[in-house]
Amino acid sequence: MAVVTEAAGTAALSAHTGPFGALARLQYSALASMRWAMFRNSLRTNQGTMELGARTLSFVLYAIMGLGLGAGLGGGAYAIVANDKLAFLPALFWVVFVLWQILPVSLASFQEQFDMGGLLRFPVSFGSFFLLHLIFGLVDISTILGGLCCLGIWVGITAARPGLSAWAALALLVFAAFNVFLVRAIFAWIDRWLAQRKTREIVGTLFFLLLLSMQFLNPAFGIVKYQNPGGSAAQATRRHRQAAFGTWIANANAVQSWLPPGLAAGAVQRGAERNTGTATGSLGVLGLFVLGAGGVLAARLRAEYRGENLGEAPSRKKAERHSGQWLIDGSGPIAAVMEKELRTLLRALPLLYGLGAPLLMVFVLSGLFHKSTSIGGHPLPMALLISLAYAMVGFTQLFYNNLGVEGAGIQILFLSPTPIRTVVLAKNLFHALLFAIDAALVCVLASLRYGLPTPLALAATVAWLLFALPVHLAVGNIFSLTMPYRINLGRIARQRGSQSSALLSMLIQLGVLGVGAAVFALCSLFDKLWLTIPIFLVLAAGAAFAWMRVLANVDNMANQRRDHLIATLVKTE
Amino acid sequence: MEIAAIQTHGLTRRFGSLTAVEDVTLSVAPGQFFGFLGPNGAGKSTTIKMLTGLLEPTSGTIEILGQAFTAGSLDLKRQIGVVPEGMALLGRLTAPEYLRFVGRMYGLDSVTTNRRTVELLEFMHLADESKKLVTDFSHGMQKKLALAAAVIHGPKVLFLDEPFEGVDAIAAGMLKAMLQGMIGRGATIFLTTHVLEIVERLCSHVAIISQGRLVANGSLEELRVGVASALPGTETGQRLTLEQIFLSIVGADAQEPAQELSWLS
Repeated sequence: MAVVTEAAGTAALSAHTGPFGALARLQYSALASMRWAMFRNSLRTNQGTMELGARTLSFVLYAIMGLGLGAGLGGGAYAIVANDKLAFLPALFWVVFVLWQILPVSLASFQEQFDMGGLLRFPVSFGSFFLLHLIFGLVDISTILGGLCCLGIWVGITAARPGLSAWAALALLVFAAFNVFLVRAIFAWIDRWLAQRKTREIVGTLFFLLLLSMQFLNPAFGIVKYQNPGGSAAQATRRHRQAAFGTWIANANAVQSWLPPGLAAGAVQRGAERNTGTATGSLGVLGLFVLGAGGVLAARLRAEYRGENLGEAPSRKKAERHSGQWLIDGSGPIAAVMEKELRTLLRALPLLYGLGAPLLMVFVLSGLFHKSTSIGGHPLPMALLISLAYAMVGFTQLFYNNLGVEGAGIQILFLSPTPIRTVVLAKNLFHALLFAIDAALVCVLASLRYGLPTPLALAATVAWLLFALPVHLAVGNIFSLTMPYRINLGRIARQRGSQSSALLSMLIQLGVLGVGAAVFALCSLFDKLWLTIPIFLVLAAGAAFAWMRVLANVDNMANQRRDHLIATLVKTE
Repeated sequence: MEIAAIQTHGLTRRFGSLTAVEDVTLSVAPGQFFGFLGPNGAGKSTTIKMLTGLLEPTSGTIEILGQAFTAGSLDLKRQIGVVPEGMALLGRLTAPEYLRFVGRMYGLDSVTTNRRTVELLEFMHLADESKKLVTDFSHGMQKKLALAAAVIHGPKVLFLDEPFEGVDAIAAGMLKAMLQGMIGRGATIFLTTHVLEIVERLCSHVAIISQGRLVANGSLEELRVGVASALPGTETGQRLTLEQIFLSIVGADAQEPAQELSWLS
């Protein structure tokens, strides 16, 4: 037993505790080895190999997307600089900024995240903790896409005017650093707010209000854009509005020039004018933004590092007060599971966000489809179809990983005398009901935006839904049993997910949407929209049959994969 | 005056309106095997988390080996080992990979880490499982691995949160021998467990926490004398067990159910 009290081999490191000291370097090396070993070990199972395949495919897809975006922005930058229209350069930087900050929210559940909290028991300095947080953040999809976009802009500027290369590189580097800090800071704070019930409810309410306010914004823009009355008085009104709009644009431009995308673009612009002093000043102010974002992130990470507890301790008094809460009527297992699902959902903002996001999408799509040249001159069916398809994306985790929220509770499902089939059926019914509510809300908002749909358009959309929903439920049940992953309900970011499940579910969703769009397009082309209804109803019957067959086989599948399900959802991560 | 291995003053932790640990002041001497007991939800794990830097106290101070301890006290962190509440293992590593990772995180050089990894795996009877992923280990094996990880850097102070839970009798005996060996070489052990027989056999000093407050603290003999003098019906010279002491301090009501469950056959 010569193992426990010997402290040899450590003394020499005691004085070097900074983020680049000997101990820190050893720790970085240990973490890198650990990540490599975890990756290598993950290939031992078929699911692990599938994960690698899915991850590689995702990487290729995102790389193509990033290269496409980068090429587009590069082309834009080239055109702007070559034509000496540098005043438009900020628009490109704003696109990158919005992409960089918005994308992680949509992709959070599809990326594997490393929980840094586990490192706190080791002698890791705050500098190392901060640095590691940033490094792990650098390998996410939004950073890769944002980086490729910045690269594209730099190539575009350099190709148009090689003398601007150094200024552009410097401005883009500082701009990229700002985006990296800001997105990490936003997620760190969102996770903090989601961790406690009171702040979670405030964030949830604000998010809901934001979604609603977007719906009001869009008609406001629409009125300005599309009203086109005749007559001299109307022309005068239009001229007045155009002048007002011009003033608004000038004011907005003045404001944006003091914000990071505007400052970065401004530095390039001033560099092109050989106004080195002002360009350096712009970069300096941008640097202050970087420090500000870094400071906000550091404040949050410092609290985590010092041992802040983000969990919620049970309050005995509250538990007593809530003991007489409502219950879904019915004593059977289906009612019990549905009640549990509802309670879980109401306490899980990440899932609620997924359900609320389609309302935002109605706003985005309305801009694309309003008075657009969509297929067959029927904008509403296509817009509704895409809005509802997007609503289904919000249900991805619920449909395709319906056991993921169980965690250790999966054992109770196996221990109880209720067949897993009944549990899955209850989950399917609950999710279908929830989707019906979400879909109805999307339809109401879309109708407010585009006007009431014709009965034919509405019937065709409902028929498509009757086809799409059972497909998702059937495939979702199979995925839930074969590729489950544990969902952390207290987090949006740093969520652990399954790449293969995410990728395959996205492909299924695209397929279902593709079938819908193709049927709509073909029937619209021949001006026989009514034909979509019988086609979708036939497909719906097939989908419902498939769903019932899968449901009938759920117990077999669950029992065959019992160990895997329990190991994945319960055991040590 | 001897410097305490662990010293707290007025340690308090609140979660919103709930006070999980309130005004805990205690001192653990170097080389002491210290048992920290309490019913479920009394604040044991919260206290350990504060003592190991995983949770920030709302108020109060902590000293480890005579120095003020905070989350940033890196040199002190290298002197302590922890088996935390959830064991904090990495399921997708094998046992040797995990131990090597932990050793390097504590700053051990690779030669020392590798040597100790081999020794620990053999000592814990885990050497034959070195190809298996930690996630496929039984609960008892995971506990042994967590304990191995807690001692790989040769800590002077060891915090153990329920280390014997789910461990079979043979392994438990082996672990007890190892821990006693550490005490013999001057280490200090702070142990929380619900298995009172283990505390009675291993620990020289015991503190009891109930509803976040320290309600008893002293050597086992001191507690015996104190409880015997306060407990009516105790015969002179009767040697109270730790279970009797514990129940008399945290509430004798717990000995009998307040209400019969008539439907239980």
